[in-house]
Amino acid sequence: MIVLARRLVQLVAVVLAATFLTFTAMNTLGDPLFNVVGFVAAVDCDAVEAGEIEDISGQGGTSLGDCAVVAEAREEFHLNEPLPIRYGRWVGDLIRGDFGTSFKNRMPVSTVLADRLPKSLLLMGMAEVFAVALSVPWALAAAYRANRAMDRASTIGAFGMLALPNFALGVILFYFFVVKWQIFPSRFEDDNLAVRLKSLVLPALTLGMPLAATYFRLLRTDLITTLQEDFVVMAKAKGLSNRWIMFRHALRPSMFSLVTVFGLNTAALIGGALIVEQIFSIPGLGRALVEASIRDDYPVVLGATVVIATGFVAINFAVDLVYSYLDPRVRRES
Amino acid sequence: MPDNVANSPLLEVDDLRTTFTIPTGDVKAVRGVSFTLDRGRTLGIVGESGSGKTVLARSIMRLNLGTNVTTTGTAAFDGNDVLTRSPSEMRQLWGSEMAMVFQDPMTSLNPLVRVQRQVTEHLCRHLNLNRSEARQAAVDLLREVRIPDPDTRLRSFPHELSGGMRQRVCIAVALACEPSLLFADEPTTALDVTVQHQILNLLSREQADREMAMVLVTHDLGVVAGRTDDTMVMYAGTVAEYAPTVSLFADMRHPYSEALMRSIPLTSFPSHTRLAAITGRPPDLIDPPTGCAFSPRCPYVQDHCVNEAPPLVEIDDPAHRLACWTPVGSPEALTAFEKNLAAGLPQAVAVDVSTTWSPTGGVDG
Ligand SMILES: Nc1ncnc2c1ncn2[C@@H]1O[C@H](COP(=O)(O)OP(=O)(O)OP(=O)(O)O)[C@@H](O)[C@H]1O
Ligand code: SF4
Ligand SMILES: [Mg+2]
Repeated sequence: MIVLARRLVQLVAVVLAATFLTFTAMNTLGDPLFNVVGFVAAVDCDAVEAGEIEDISGQGGTSLGDCAVVAEAREEFHLNEPLPIRYGRWVGDLIRGDFGTSFKNRMPVSTVLADRLPKSLLLMGMAEVFAVALSVPWALAAAYRANRAMDRASTIGAFGMLALPNFALGVILFYFFVVKWQIFPSRFEDDNLAVRLKSLVLPALTLGMPLAATYFRLLRTDLITTLQEDFVVMAKAKGLSNRWIMFRHALRPSMFSLVTVFGLNTAALIGGALIVEQIFSIPGLGRALVEASIRDDYPVVLGATVVIATGFVAINFAVDLVYSYLDPRVRRES
Repeated sequence: MPDNVANSPLLEVDDLRTTFTIPTGDVKAVRGVSFTLDRGRTLGIVGESGSGKTVLARSIMRLNLGTNVTTTGTAAFDGNDVLTRSPSEMRQLWGSEMAMVFQDPMTSLNPLVRVQRQVTEHLCRHLNLNRSEARQAAVDLLREVRIPDPDTRLRSFPHELSGGMRQRVCIAVALACEPSLLFADEPTTALDVTVQHQILNLLSREQADREMAMVLVTHDLGVVAGRTDDTMVMYAGTVAEYAPTVSLFADMRHPYSEALMRSIPLTSFPSHTRLAAITGRPPDLIDPPTGCAFSPRCPYVQDHCVNEAPPLVEIDDPAHRLACWTPVGSPEALTAFEKNLAAGLPQAVAVDVSTTWSPTGGVDG
């Protein structure tokens, strides 16, 4: 119970810190009105009124009429108020469950998130399933015969996979499986779960392969260390089979760094798969976030920030739970 | 066990040599060890750290890890060489015929696995017991090694047990399938002094009750005294002296055995007293001395010792074997010692000083 309360405090702190930074940055570095009223947002309307700037209405330039629009928008989005008050207002809305409205098409941010997040989560989940399903048996096989041919080849393969930029793998897969052989759809299809899963296979592979290479390296190294432990010699001296020793004695104590990195990667994937989302035309959270950032559509950026920060804290918590499942010595302390 | 092998020794080791190849050279950890061990008998292997005791035991068990290890010679178990057996044949022997108790009970149990599985997992394999039979066997075993409240203990994780309890669990694991040969590799080195005796007594009792042969590895001559039938003193991977334990203590002939004897902590000394630690360090096993391996540290060393290694030969009593040109107590040894002392050889001086200490006179610091 105390653990849960501590996590909640952590969640609030992380969300507040992340959103405050984002909010400040987006309002001082960018121009939130740009998407609402277009180029005129940048115009110094006081100067126009004072006649210091030429009124060239209708020529794509500035007019007094445009300035009225700007003033109206400022009013609507409370942009006249000082930053801290606006941030406070935003937090207040958030507590009431209101994420605000996107500047772009005046859609509620919550609708945008509800549309984008599930796709990103599905992609993330599939990528991690591929990565784990590939890396764990691979690492077990390589560590069992460490430094033999198969292990050496695997190490080279893993480094190759890590060296290949993410988009390169994506483009290669896209070329062969979509363009050439037309096995998979060229863009995300949303009709039913089966179709959704199918159109996410390639993007998930693109994300999952480098992850698999990372997990492979970590788990292999830790397995090799564990296999030197006295308790492994003792298990051998009991006449247990190699398979049993690998799975029932060596695997679990070797998973700690894997679990840590797995958690970090998973959290990073929630909103961070934008390149792959771009290549495979998936309307995921990553793309929404990038598009919104470019347009200074800060309600959307903030909404996404809340989701991602929450994801980080939740995954952190999950990782700790897995730790205590793996290691009884941790279990007692918590 | 077929009758025709029943009268051959249980374990017959001949010229066993184990070498580890490392980047800087070949570590010759065991350099030609031979001995026999009959059924139900006990052998103590004594030597200071690095003398090759663990490597010897693990070589016979075929438990040296890594691909850089080479073992030659023979180690016949029940008449068949174990060194040539396949891994699956070894798995038949491990646990059920040969078992091992390790030095450090803190690290030899898997910290993430409950005691119950660690005690029962090989029972199921070797004895074909089902789960509840295995559990019952585990309770009986824990009771036998004097672990109170076995039912609770089976559900514990290793970190919830004390060091002595853990070593008892390890002993239970080793005894579970009734092996005919047990290696105990410094089973008490990592434990509190008060627990050491209990564990040693437990091992001796189990060994006697089960008529199981046991190899007890230790760096402390005091541990084998009164506990083993025979004692083998090892130095730098070779046998220095081998004798029935009783005759060894009655008539210790090797300068190294004598030095070990001097380093036994007497109970009348304060526990922190480091007694007459042997001067100098063990030789480099990559490039061991050509002559007697102990010659750089021996108070009785002569020119001959440096040039030629002494063979292991029987002296007076045929069961007493010794590898030394001038056994302790011989007139030649005395002459050599006087000479070395006069020449100020550090090891001779150290011995001379330590013999003037008397246990009853007390020792300061
Ligand atoms: N895997 C290995 N690779 C290289 N050298 C090794 C290896 N295992 C043991 N040795 C070397 O072999 C020698 C004998 O070691 P061993 O562990 O048998 O000594 P020991 O008599 O058991 O000592 P201790 O009382 O410390 O346990 C040591 O010099 C050690 O460094
Ligand atoms: S007297 Fe010579 S042979 Fe004997 S132990 Fe000393 S050095 Fe070796
Ligand atoms: Mg040892």
